[in-house]
Amino acid sequence: MSAKKEFNVKWGMAIDLDKCTGCGACMVACQAENNLAPVADASNKLRVMNWLVVFELSNNKEFPDHEVAYLPRPCQQCAEQPCATVCPVVATERNEEGGIVSQIYPRCIGCRYCMAACPYHARYFNWFDPVWPKGMEKALTPDVSVRPRGVVEKCTFCHHRYMMAKDKLRAQGKNIFVKGEKRGTKHSAIAEGDYVTSCAEACPNGAIVFGDLNNPAHRVYQLTHDNPNAFRLLERLGTDTAVYYISSREWVRRLGDNYLKDEITQKPEKILPKKH
Amino acid sequence: MVLDRRGFMKFVAGAGLGVMATPIPWKLLDDAAIWTQNWSWIPRNVKGETSYTYAVSKMCPSCVPMKVRMVGGRPVRVLPVDGHPLGGGVSSIAVAEVQMMFSPGRVKRPLYRAADGAFRELSWAEAVTLLQQKLQAAGSSTAFISGDENGSTNDVLSAFARALGAGDIFLMPSEAQCAARAAELMGIPAQLGYDLENSDYVLAIGANLLESWGPVIRNRRIFRDGRPVAGKKELPARLNIAYAGAVQNNTAAVARPWLPVYPGTEGILALGIANMLIAKGCSFDSPDFSEFKLLAAKYNPEVTAKETGVDLKKLEAVVKALMAAKAPLVIVGSEFSQGSGAAPVMAGFALNALLGNINKSGGVCLLPRAEAGIDGASARDEIFKNDLTAWIADRKTPQALVLHEANPAYALPGPQAVAAFLKAVPFKVSFSTYMDETAALCDLVLPIGMGLERIDDVNTPYGCGKTVYCISAVAADPRADVHNTANVILHVAKEMGKDLGFEYYEDLLKTKAVRYEKCDFAVLAAGQAAVSEARVEFSGFTARADVLAKALSPKTRGNKLGLAPYAKLNLGTAKTGIPPYNTKTLRGTELDGKDMYVMMNAKTARKKGLSDGDMVVLDSGKQQIRARLRVFEGVMMDTVAVCLGYGHTALDEFSQNKGANVMELMVAVPEPQTGLNVWSGTGVTVSKA
Amino acid sequence: MEMNYNRPIDAALFPDGCERGSLTKFLLWLGGVSVVLLLGLYAAFLVLSRGLGVTGLDDYFGFGLWITFDLGVIALGAGAFFTGLLRYILNIDPLKNIINLAVIVGFICYTGAMLVLLLDIGQPIRSWFGLWHPNVHSMLTEVIFCISCYCLVLIIEYIPLILEQKQINKNRLAHHIAHNLHLMMPLFAGIGAFLSTFHQGSLGGMYGVLFGRPYAFRDGFFIWPWTFFLFVLSAAASGPMLTVLIATLMEKMTGKKLVSFDIKALMGKIAGTMLLVYLVFKFMDTLAWINSVAPRSGLTFDQFFHGWIYGKWLLFTELVLCGVLPCVILLYKPLRDNPTLLYLAGILDCAGILINRYVMTVQTLAFPSLPFDKWALYCPNWVEWAACGFVFAYGAILLSISHRYLPIFPQERYLNGGCCAGGAKH
Repeated sequence: MSAKKEFNVKWGMAIDLDKCTGCGACMVACQAENNLAPVADASNKLRVMNWLVVFELSNNKEFPDHEVAYLPRPCQQCAEQPCATVCPVVATERNEEGGIVSQIYPRCIGCRYCMAACPYHARYFNWFDPVWPKGMEKALTPDVSVRPRGVVEKCTFCHHRYMMAKDKLRAQGKNIFVKGEKRGTKHSAIAEGDYVTSCAEACPNGAIVFGDLNNPAHRVYQLTHDNPNAFRLLERLGTDTAVYYISSREWVRRLGDNYLKDEITQKPEKILPKKH
Repeated sequence: MVLDRRGFMKFVAGAGLGVMATPIPWKLLDDAAIWTQNWSWIPRNVKGETSYTYAVSKMCPSCVPMKVRMVGGRPVRVLPVDGHPLGGGVSSIAVAEVQMMFSPGRVKRPLYRAADGAFRELSWAEAVTLLQQKLQAAGSSTAFISGDENGSTNDVLSAFARALGAGDIFLMPSEAQCAARAAELMGIPAQLGYDLENSDYVLAIGANLLESWGPVIRNRRIFRDGRPVAGKKELPARLNIAYAGAVQNNTAAVARPWLPVYPGTEGILALGIANMLIAKGCSFDSPDFSEFKLLAAKYNPEVTAKETGVDLKKLEAVVKALMAAKAPLVIVGSEFSQGSGAAPVMAGFALNALLGNINKSGGVCLLPRAEAGIDGASARDEIFKNDLTAWIADRKTPQALVLHEANPAYALPGPQAVAAFLKAVPFKVSFSTYMDETAALCDLVLPIGMGLERIDDVNTPYGCGKTVYCISAVAADPRADVHNTANVILHVAKEMGKDLGFEYYEDLLKTKAVRYEKCDFAVLAAGQAAVSEARVEFSGFTARADVLAKALSPKTRGNKLGLAPYAKLNLGTAKTGIPPYNTKTLRGTELDGKDMYVMMNAKTARKKGLSDGDMVVLDSGKQQIRARLRVFEGVMMDTVAVCLGYGHTALDEFSQNKGANVMELMVAVPEPQTGLNVWSGTGVTVSKA
Repeated sequence: MEMNYNRPIDAALFPDGCERGSLTKFLLWLGGVSVVLLLGLYAAFLVLSRGLGVTGLDDYFGFGLWITFDLGVIALGAGAFFTGLLRYILNIDPLKNIINLAVIVGFICYTGAMLVLLLDIGQPIRSWFGLWHPNVHSMLTEVIFCISCYCLVLIIEYIPLILEQKQINKNRLAHHIAHNLHLMMPLFAGIGAFLSTFHQGSLGGMYGVLFGRPYAFRDGFFIWPWTFFLFVLSAAASGPMLTVLIATLMEKMTGKKLVSFDIKALMGKIAGTMLLVYLVFKFMDTLAWINSVAPRSGLTFDQFFHGWIYGKWLLFTELVLCGVLPCVILLYKPLRDNPTLLYLAGILDCAGILINRYVMTVQTLAFPSLPFDKWALYCPNWVEWAACGFVFAYGAILLSISHRYLPIFPQERYLNGGCCAGGAKH
């Protein structure tokens, strides 16, 4: 397995589960932005293309003690990817400043090994060619190419928006990076808010905060560092994801990982050794 | 030279080897990556210059402002507009509104019903002539139903109705109507508004504040700003929301606490809380305060708990928080945004009066009523006085019926009876974007542009805390042969010799725009909202204990389960059906193929001998619907929760054949004293299918 | 040569001294099998023309019946490399009597698996990307390389068998090629054994490296997870038995003795030994999995199983009923020498390996990796079964033709009362 790559800029999310009402606007915004084809019957959830899915979480208590929470799940953009390491044709890798796991559709052979590897179910396969209702293809965005059948795809943190934000800087003759406050660090010159994913942008509740996890000036940094309510999904697998979740409810945080009965939430007794 | 067999073979072999030595085959092979990506049947992206236009959604009940991204003149995305009083994100309907321009369910050109019962196309000129003839013939026996309560098209319709001498003009039932009726009964000459922006504690009773009540996106923006992300480094929440309702819906998911109550008991809960507040020394100025106090006293904590099923401990905590809050606000509404009548809103107003927040910052505010822009037209509140369900129940069939963006054959209680009523009307015309259930029953269907494709306006949606006026300009070229309803009516009126004073709808909107300070039409059309903080002075009110006493009397549920309908925006509206991009947002626990799920908690299910996944029949006595049962613990005891928005029979494949329409189960009954019909307290039996 | 009208019309093509049934009967048999073949072809057409959506696979089960099938046949096809290794490298001479069959079975298994893989990947036109744009960190890359190469080896091993066909062998060139290839066979057997070991291992490694999937994830040695070694051992433990079973099935179908029982029993003994080695490690691995991988992932043993379809009975069946039991039979001579018990042990042995490949594929994916998710259900549809049926039919046809016309079984003449004892000499 390749060594973990560290980048100056690490785009990431902090998703506040105490704010998410599960309305689904983020899912629709994602589909429209990334040119996912609609389907009339979407009830077979294991066959529906969705880069972002809102899961329903329950505290599993009976009425009236029942509580519910909603958890939007984009690609977690792992620093230790279960997926990219197994791809036989280098169709997906995390090899660029920003730490986004790429997905190169023309390279993908559709073996689906990455899907078998991803514990977050963030990867989706094109079981058929995408079909839009007649005329609706006119509303496709120009930024994300349409994928044919037979390739795997996933959330890219709206990578095209990242490129556009960088292009904008270049067009203004500005540098892409600026020096960080700490010695030896650099940050993206993209101002916070100039590069935001479609889901984060659409959410009326502001539940999804997007930014650079390495930049102390960014809200996402402040929310995820030194915050006892922040957790990541399946942290003990060692995937080192770039998507943090926040909840003041312990049962929600405990659902973020597998725990043995006597383990303390967010502090399992045994911690996975770094190398696998 | 003769080419013999051997020579030929050598040539072929040599040529083969030679070609292999060139880059041609290798290049072609390597290009497999490209051509296997670009099959001719896969749609291509079309590049173009990006530009933006602004509009306000006429499709989403939240009236959300939209920034529309255009690429080479084609609209491709709806993005949020920050800094707009109704904005702050995008709703699940509006966010794919561009894509909905291409929904298969659209009416593409005018259609009339031929003698054989099928629709035939006709030209707009023919359609307008036909419309004119029919309306001329019907004269004062023409009725109007509008499904857009915030637009000025209603001015045109009502002015036209007045000119025809017709009085039957209706808006589709809504919370705004209940509130308007409540204000009128209490003697308040204003539109009730809610200053959520400045409140620090909101108790929403039935009002699905974060999903379907009022201008939702604005509500949610306030929630966003008032509730910083939980964590060490952020400030404590500035806004707390408590929610009382029968279903743990989108609002309840983030509310602290959720107070489960029986469906249809919102008003009684409000009286129970009023009693607790009065006991703590709260009061208000009203000629009938003592009667109100007596009435409230009937709902002592024990009675309240019995009638509403509320947990007293939790309720007491909420009341305590209300009293402790700097700017408490109580909002009473309906979990499915309709049919709960005026009394709960009145009880809610009384609660706010007890908390002393009328016309105070963060409280209930009295906004000037929206006025009509045409002489002789009725103001919105005037139209609200007419109750559509009651009128249909009376069966005074008009000669002609004009519908504007209204789908009563789907959205009213008892859709089958409504359809039967519609069938009895000799001529009905529907101005509609989509071929919905009502349009499918009409004699003439006239395509109108979607919000993005037409000019229209939004005038202070119910729920706002201030007067907000927006113009929604044409953001995109229409994808069908459309005309504006108002323009057609203005034209027909003129042809009939009843000039309404405007040639075009746009002219009317221009006269409306100039009423607002510092905002001319061009500024508004460019996406800015006109906002006015003006309020109607609060000079007291009558609590109308007499009305409340009758209208809020406890109902016996008997053996039946309470029906708790609830609304979710991702299922679209009665007008749109389920938007194509939204089918994926429906969970596996909400819809499975053709079967929708209804929900009850495990204890209730056990009582009824039902288990998770059972096919069940819900029976209201008059009508039945079938569904699958989902055992979900976020539902009140003895209650079955059913989501609105399923069971479309018209529109397109994204809406059809999905579940059943819960409106089938509902029966509208008169609310004593208020002149409205209610259908929020329906009871049903649930049994295994 | 004079025609003997009592013999089938194609008798001139039969191996020396061997009799075959009538051509009509043979063609009828082939015709029957071809129905299955055609159905498989139709399924393949559907997959290639419309997309993989016509199968029962989904986003949770990106791997399903086909991958299980591929892993299964590749493991069972290991008879070819392992027997070859023993015969040519370790010089266990009696195995020459069954090595030809092992090669053909291996050839069928590997080519069949490649055909199914071609359907299974979404972009078959890009299948060569695995060789052209390899990711050296991926176990699957190793599999792609080794399987492609090993397929070539199997073709090379198969060619002399074809060239030794009585009529073809009359051609001097064919004769010499066959002869020389035979001389080089130890080299190919060596290459084959090397390649085979690696890709059998890498197939296991494919699962063992899935650190996001605690059901499959294993620690290991250097870059290889324990499953790497377990897959090699289990393949060697089951491949020989499949060869024996197929030989026996062919005997039952043709009514002729093809391989003497002592050879089969020898194969059984070899397989039994390998099975014992495998089981020792497999039990150790299972214990480590329960006591290390699971608790580290915050999971208990019980959580890896669910309901009937993913129940613990699978583990018991795999390890005890289809592991320990056949191992005992194969290693204890009195039991092994009973043909019924030998064949039963062979069937159990192969079944155990198939169960292993199935659970590693399907149960790994069915397990809810997210704590708030549910166990997922997978049910292969007819298209997937038909494609597998295609490989069976293709194998049956290839074996039938090979048996009818090629001198595969050196002992056949002798065992069926032929004039020349001791089998054919090469």
